[in-house]
Amino acid sequence: MVDLGLKTLLYDKVRFLITVSGVAFAVTLVLVQGGLFVGLLDNSTITIEKFGADLWVTSKNSPNLDFVHQFPESNLYRARSVPGIERADNLILSFMQVALPSGAEETTVVYAMEDFGDWGVPWLVSAGSTAALSSGPFVLFDESAARRFGAFEVGDYREVNGRRLRVVGKTSGAKSFTTTPLAFMDYHRAQELQPDLLSGKTSYILVKLEPGADVNAVKAELERRLPYNDVYTAKAWAARSREYWVANTGIGFNAFLTVFLGCLVGVVVVAQTLYTSTMEHLKEFGTVKAIGGSNLDIYKMLAQQASIAAVVGFVLGYVPAQLLKPVIARADLKLIIQPELTAMVFVGTVILCLLSALVSFRKVAGIDPALVFRS
Amino acid sequence: MHSVLAEDVTKTFREGKDTVSVLRGASLHLERGEVVALEGPSGSGKTTFLSILGCLLGASSGRVSIAGEAISAARPALLQAVRRRHIGFVFQQFNLFPALSALENVEYALNLKGVGGPEAGRQARALLERVGMGDRMRFLPRDLSGGQKQRVAIARALVASPSVILADEPTANLDSSVAGQVLELFTELARREERSLLIVTHDPRVRRVADRVVNIVDGRIAA
Repeated sequence: MVDLGLKTLLYDKVRFLITVSGVAFAVTLVLVQGGLFVGLLDNSTITIEKFGADLWVTSKNSPNLDFVHQFPESNLYRARSVPGIERADNLILSFMQVALPSGAEETTVVYAMEDFGDWGVPWLVSAGSTAALSSGPFVLFDESAARRFGAFEVGDYREVNGRRLRVVGKTSGAKSFTTTPLAFMDYHRAQELQPDLLSGKTSYILVKLEPGADVNAVKAELERRLPYNDVYTAKAWAARSREYWVANTGIGFNAFLTVFLGCLVGVVVVAQTLYTSTMEHLKEFGTVKAIGGSNLDIYKMLAQQASIAAVVGFVLGYVPAQLLKPVIARADLKLIIQPELTAMVFVGTVILCLLSALVSFRKVAGIDPALVFRS
Repeated sequence: MHSVLAEDVTKTFREGKDTVSVLRGASLHLERGEVVALEGPSGSGKTTFLSILGCLLGASSGRVSIAGEAISAARPALLQAVRRRHIGFVFQQFNLFPALSALENVEYALNLKGVGGPEAGRQARALLERVGMGDRMRFLPRDLSGGQKQRVAIARALVASPSVILADEPTANLDSSVAGQVLELFTELARREERSLLIVTHDPRVRRVADRVVNIVDGRIAA
């Protein structure tokens, strides 16, 4: 069968290039914005994922991971007595101030435990180790802190909440939603540094279940024994934390707006080029009808052209989005283009391109048949 | 049986609040294998009449039948079916698809008429051979002369053996010698294969090869 739609599309290469460039630009825009959105949300809950706890005991009505209230650390003993729990530990999460050599101060998010080793956090230690944390006034900073605190090396000292701490290691990839650098220190050291807030208090109890234990049963029992706390599965706690950022900051709307604008650009470019092309080829469409074709034959042709523009534009837009990953990483941002996002953008691109062709459908339906006779 | 029968055909168009009558009772019949030239001044209704006989437009009133099939404006699907089965068109501007080669132009018309695969290729090649374009099959229209383009257009009009061929000023864009060759080919193919050929024209050479010349004036066929 002769593929008139494809051949006509490729015959005018410049127009085809303009069409797919518009689609590609829109695809890149949507993928990058969507990927940044996913990356930010991933940062916001990456520690929940990396701790690997089955359940998180939090203060009552805590909105998200970072904005948590403290509660008595002795609740840990009640938690540990619940059947089905293999391990439970207190975790402090608190914002502290780091004094910079310039005299200015920067904020750091401190994660503090008695023993990080059993929880696998921090997950990437690029220098030093967490083992030494409990043996002195020591701290580990994530490498991303260098952007805020200036360059630092293992063995350097930094003043945290007015107390000099020696940097005994560096971590990598430990980030927060707000891009505030993460620090790791001993549980009791954190309480020393913020006695008013943290003395005798903890931020979380992390719970790991025994193999085969019923997570719902354990959760229910924890809720019964700790009525002034909330208990979440790790997945539910991560979801609640993400929802907070999406609903209570401009990030959700911002992402939506950029995605919407990206889609709009794509639709306008495709609709405009297809419509212009249709107008220029009206006589050819009239000829298709005259030699035996129907409106449906022409609709199929237009739909095929829109679909080809969508697929080629998608591929041309996907590649630069992937190539931007290392560039964006240099700005301490994460671009996560998941298969789900890719599939969604692909399907959306095809649908929007087909919708763009509808404008041309209407034009074709109203072709004056006598057009074929005009010179 | 007439290949084309049009009796008392009228066609009116609405232009804003006004109604414009373009055809006011035009009647015409064509026998099998007959070549008829249709002449008339600009605005006389030639193109509208051609569009109705070619089943591109429906008549406002009157009776039209093509190859014995009565057609009705109220049934667009029937118009398309009759057009597909019985009508071949040749246009003044050739109306070839610029992105398709000569062979593909003819093959595509076959595809639209339900002939596909290798059979469409075989028939398209045979048609192009018949119009003397066997050595230019792979050429795009832009690489063909006016006469060659019209030959391809004639081959395309012959696809699926239509009983009626309607041609709109087929020699208007051709130089004198080429126009003569194209007319000769055209009329010879029509007569030999008993196809009715209606040629809308201002070209006196067409008058010479036509069996009959009819004039249309103010929407009526003049006596």
